[in-house]
Amino acid sequence: MNIVLALILAATLPTAGTQFQQLPDGKGKAEVEAACYTCHSADLLAQQRLNEKQWTATVEKMMRWGAVVEPAGKDVVVKYLARHFGPGNKFTPAKVKPQ
Amino acid sequence: MSIDRRHFLRLAAAAPFLTTPLAAAERYLLQVNGYPLNAETPLELLTDYLTPNDLFFIRSHWIPRMPDAKTWRLTIDGDVARPLSLSLAELKKLPRVETTCVLQCAGNGRALHDPVLPGVQWKYGAVGNARWSGVRVRDVLQRAGIRATAKHLHLFGSDDPPGKVPPFHRSIELEKALEDCILAYEMNGAPLPQSHGAPLRLVVPGWAGDHWMKWLVKLTASAKPQSGFYMDTAYRWPLKPGQPGVSFKPEEMRPVTEIAVKSNIIAAPTVARVGVPVEIRGFAFSGAPDIQRVDLTDDDGASWKPATLDVRHSAHAWRLWSFRWTPRRAGTARLAARATDSRGAVQPRTAVWNQSGYFFNAWQSIDIEVKG
Repeated sequence: MNIVLALILAATLPTAGTQFQQLPDGKGKAEVEAACYTCHSADLLAQQRLNEKQWTATVEKMMRWGAVVEPAGKDVVVKYLARHFGPGNKFTPAKVKPQ
Repeated sequence: MSIDRRHFLRLAAAAPFLTTPLAAAERYLLQVNGYPLNAETPLELLTDYLTPNDLFFIRSHWIPRMPDAKTWRLTIDGDVARPLSLSLAELKKLPRVETTCVLQCAGNGRALHDPVLPGVQWKYGAVGNARWSGVRVRDVLQRAGIRATAKHLHLFGSDDPPGKVPPFHRSIELEKALEDCILAYEMNGAPLPQSHGAPLRLVVPGWAGDHWMKWLVKLTASAKPQSGFYMDTAYRWPLKPGQPGVSFKPEEMRPVTEIAVKSNIIAAPTVARVGVPVEIRGFAFSGAPDIQRVDLTDDDGASWKPATLDVRHSAHAWRLWSFRWTPRRAGTARLAARATDSRGAVQPRTAVWNQSGYFFNAWQSIDIEVKG
């Protein structure tokens, strides 16, 4: 590998755990961030390929575990997740430099 | 430097498996969750018999409160005559033992199950092979005067979740804990890294990673197993295969224990020529103590040819393997690898679908473009 390219790559690979995926903009994003980010980062959402029924079950499980979702807001959260991270969703994990 | 004949023969036998150290820029993990950190090793970097610590996959349920090794103590209580509280220095005075074995997350390969499942979408790299050093669980429990009524060992780490989220509390059958489990404070000769559970984690040879509790702070002996989400709902495995996509009922499942027999292909050319041999390499492991054989097929399982197993091994460690394949005709060839363990269990063409996505171990295949 070209030494300059190697140095650039070494400099740009972040330390494990410091590069967080951003959620795509759209209706429900703020609600999803508020509900989910207490326990995990966006990567865990962005890699899923779930249909609306599976997202509903997942969101309900997380609400039982304390995720803060207003009853009226559940549909917004589920719809956002199913729209962006439904079947066929492609996810590219961040490359992180091991510690 | 002198080298005796036995050592030379051992090195010579391992020669096809020796790899060039990776350049710094080529070393990375694939992050599947930023916090708590979960990251898998790219399959093509799992080339070493001992997976380097910085390339070893990381699985965390919750963000741990990292124990300070200077003030940290391990509590041993419950069904024991003499409850203990041991510092790391006191633990290290007990006989030191080492074991080299595979650690695989039960969910490794979840992303490959069909129909798809929620959860961390591990592909191939939530697995590694390391040399773990520490003390026997047996020695610690004997010192505490374990009682005959104790049948389970409850495991507590320092990674408490927020709010109503269930804590990752587990237990292990005492019989297994006394048989060959160790409390490890070193990994591949270095102090156990924080991301791997420093200062102390449980090592459970042959069993899935859910038992390998990290950041250990307490062991409680008990007549009963631990209860809670991570015992009663998660980490359960169907008693017999069912219909893909149809969830099993609780009574149709038992706890996940031994890992399923599996092989992976880590290196192969993408292009080859008819009549010119090429090398394919991989690793294989199982919950059984050893791998008996690895075979490859280039005709969708109609015929199999044996791979050569690396000589390096200890109970529950993985086996590296290599296979010399000579293409017979031009076109796209599809090769698959299949492991058989020392108890005769054979890696299946299709993995058992289960609602948590554990133990994906279907044949892994690769395509090679063969030119005439």
